[in-house]
Amino acid sequence: MVHIGFLVCLPLVAAVLLSLVRANKARNAIVYVSAALIAADSLWLCFSQMGTQGVYFTFSSSAVDAVCTLASIAIGACIIAYAVRYKNVWAGILAVVQLVGSLVFDFTLAHTASVEQGLYFDSLSLIMAFIIGIIGTGICVYAIGYMEDFQKEHEGEKDRRPTLFAIMFLFLSAMYVIVFSNNMVWAFTGWEVTTLCSFLLIGYTKTDEAIRNAFRQIIMNIAGGLGFLAALYYSAGVMGTLDFSQFLQMGMIAPALVVLPVTCLTFAGLTKAAQMPFHTWLLGAMVAPTPTSALLHSSTMVKAGVFLLIKLAPLYALSVIPSMLAILVGGITFCLASFMAISQSNAKRVLAYSTIANLGLIVACAGVGTPEAVWAAIFLVIFHAVAKSLLFLCVGTAEHHIGSRNIEDMDLLFERMPKLARLMMLGIMTMFIAPFGMLVSKWATLVSIIDAQQVALIVLLAFGSAATFMFWAKWLGKLSGIAAEQEDVELTVHKSEWIALYAMAGLIVVLCALLPVVSDCSVLPYLQSVYGSVGAPIGNDLLWLMSVLVIVVAIVLFAGLNRQPKDVRKASVYMSGVSVNSEARTFINSMSGETEATSRNMYLENIFGEKTIKPIGEIACTLLIIAAFAVSLSLSISVLF
Amino acid sequence: MTTFVATVVGSICFAVLAPIVGCFLDGLDRKISAGMQGRVGPKLMQPYWDVRKLLQKEKMSVNTVEGTYIACALFFAIVAGGLFYSGGNFLLCTLVITLSSLFFIMAAYSTRSPFAEVGAARETLQVMSYEPMVIFTAVGMYMIAGTFDVAGLFDMRHPLICYGWPIFLGLLFILTIKLRKSPFDISSSHHAHQELVKGITTEMSGPTLARVQILHWCENVLFLGWTGMFFLSAGPASLIVALVFVALVYFLEIWIDNNFARVKWQVMLKWAWIVALVAGGINIAVLAFA
Repeated sequence: MVHIGFLVCLPLVAAVLLSLVRANKARNAIVYVSAALIAADSLWLCFSQMGTQGVYFTFSSSAVDAVCTLASIAIGACIIAYAVRYKNVWAGILAVVQLVGSLVFDFTLAHTASVEQGLYFDSLSLIMAFIIGIIGTGICVYAIGYMEDFQKEHEGEKDRRPTLFAIMFLFLSAMYVIVFSNNMVWAFTGWEVTTLCSFLLIGYTKTDEAIRNAFRQIIMNIAGGLGFLAALYYSAGVMGTLDFSQFLQMGMIAPALVVLPVTCLTFAGLTKAAQMPFHTWLLGAMVAPTPTSALLHSSTMVKAGVFLLIKLAPLYALSVIPSMLAILVGGITFCLASFMAISQSNAKRVLAYSTIANLGLIVACAGVGTPEAVWAAIFLVIFHAVAKSLLFLCVGTAEHHIGSRNIEDMDLLFERMPKLARLMMLGIMTMFIAPFGMLVSKWATLVSIIDAQQVALIVLLAFGSAATFMFWAKWLGKLSGIAAEQEDVELTVHKSEWIALYAMAGLIVVLCALLPVVSDCSVLPYLQSVYGSVGAPIGNDLLWLMSVLVIVVAIVLFAGLNRQPKDVRKASVYMSGVSVNSEARTFINSMSGETEATSRNMYLENIFGEKTIKPIGEIACTLLIIAAFAVSLSLSISVLF
Repeated sequence: MTTFVATVVGSICFAVLAPIVGCFLDGLDRKISAGMQGRVGPKLMQPYWDVRKLLQKEKMSVNTVEGTYIACALFFAIVAGGLFYSGGNFLLCTLVITLSSLFFIMAAYSTRSPFAEVGAARETLQVMSYEPMVIFTAVGMYMIAGTFDVAGLFDMRHPLICYGWPIFLGLLFILTIKLRKSPFDISSSHHAHQELVKGITTEMSGPTLARVQILHWCENVLFLGWTGMFFLSAGPASLIVALVFVALVYFLEIWIDNNFARVKWQVMLKWAWIVALVAGGINIAVLAFA
């Protein structure tokens, strides 16, 4: 329990210090030291408690309750202040509703249901702690160098870095609260803190676009938070408990009783995990500096949403309504977001759509609720976190040095920044191709949904995966393009950025290669504690075979491509026999002038454009959510009265 | 451990045998095509002599990595073949052959040649077109046989085709794309005077091009194995039945190649997905609910 306290409090202390310190050197030192401490303690906790079946601590504290109430008031006040300042009516109304709702709850129902075991950890929380502690802090370290360049580019603007770093560490603290709290009120406070933090991070630059997108985020996520709050009311008022493990147990005994709160919590999870029709907030989040996007996409925020849904998985296996809601919304989001990613040429937007798609897959897996599906969901969470953070950080560094985040401009990247390009290629390959982790998880997903006979989901998965291949492969192709010698601009990349990038890349290779070990030591113990004895959906013999292939690909990527064969004569590319300058790809045209040969990737705008696809997904998912609420409400009424 | 050993042994055997069989099939293809067009055609061993000559040519390349990518593509195609023919996991086999295709695509992209890039983009589209049906094939196999292991098919009373014939037809449709036959030979064509030269292989020459040829032979042997898989059941006689059907399928593909003009990629994508949705989707729904 000391470790839990340490992990929650240390980022808080760091956040307070960072918000006060204005000197660059001091700030960097604080970031390095606290990141190292958080990472070390997370690792220590993970390894010392490896394979745990869940440990619950008898801990209740009126002081912590009071802090939670104060935090709710502060969050509400902060959002209302911003809403007034920027004249955003909806955000103001929702914030007031939420503030009143949570205060009424705190002073009435919260006292009727006391929670004895306020804190806990099981193997799933440890996996999350690992992700937050290693990847989250890695991104904070990366931000040191990145923000220095960012500040140089935005000279003359106010240096808001103290706030930025403070919020990032506050974010980590809130995430630890969510994954370690068994008291639902505490988890809810953490949940709302992450909402507020991402609001502040998205609006960091204070441009009109940033403010607009930040408000879109806050409106959607407060709506989701109200869903969470409604579940709290129900849980305390009807079931008489705010203990999350008790809530799950009661739900498993009497599934009909919890249909409504589970639907509410699912709704909360869907908003946070940026599922359609709420996916636009995550797309809007990319206006923020890149470390923010990396943090939101990989280790925090959206992962809080899927974490909640994975915790609810055993209930989904028993109650049809919320299960179908999660499966269909997740499946549709996976398929359609993958389609839309094809039509994007902005690298960050491709990454955002891919995040939305993968979250959809995780949500759908959680919705299926069988142990095999949860196995797949957890591995999707792990590999998505490492691969996506690496990719965002690579894109951020590339953007600063080649001056563009457009994929079409990246075809010279390989020669200009060869190391960076290979790291990016590793990240991309991890996302979509066997033998890397995401594809192994997708394979497990396929097995589990066939066993659960989810035909609609199989179809959505098949077409979505095909689209996934398309949009990643063409980006990968751009990266592999090699041109004439270019100046090496890599020299100016900050050391802190390389540390973070190589740490993520190393983590990817180690995790992919040791996938069976992770399965045996962390994921299966969690499934055992929830479902009793279970096996992995993929045999360990096949997993080890994949590990060998991973190592082969990694060697090719980092050693094989450096090979300089001696006996090969260098030729110039074919330009129909009329080239002027092969390095510059120019040829003699029919008017005897010079023309440069250019080619662009296919974006299939007419088929997979946002205009075509987005309305379909938004309408379908909105209808599904409304239907799920209507049915579960009427079911609950008939059960209760 | 046995899986690992079986895969390694299978891959070694496949690496030796598949090029021989593939080369023979290629020669047969050219003979039969010539017959259909009223020509005599080259000798049966002509593909072998062609590749041998390519291997003896000077090594020329526009960059230093193209050869590495092609070597990887060949390596993973052999692993995929080894997995399949040693009775291993079919789904893993499809994943590994996709990895092989990806390396082939990256090799073309890495040249930054305008012609090769267009070819690579089209090859990517081809993969996207056939991928759903490949997944449905694996799903159908698992639902009917209860396993992804190819070896497990020899324990079945009825072959896959009995309950999975719509999926088999869907697989036949995308097989034309996978074998790079007309009307779907969009990323590369057999004729050197084409507008896009040779698409994806424009910048590949000499020994590298020879490896690409061997890669295609291996792929052909593997994909024909996928169709044969549908006819396997308990008893060795089913192997003979499977071989007969494989021969028929190959003849059918050659016939299609010679009788249909190349289509645009839009048509390919549309029909490949419609066929996958109808054949695959309905078959799987029936298997799940009936």
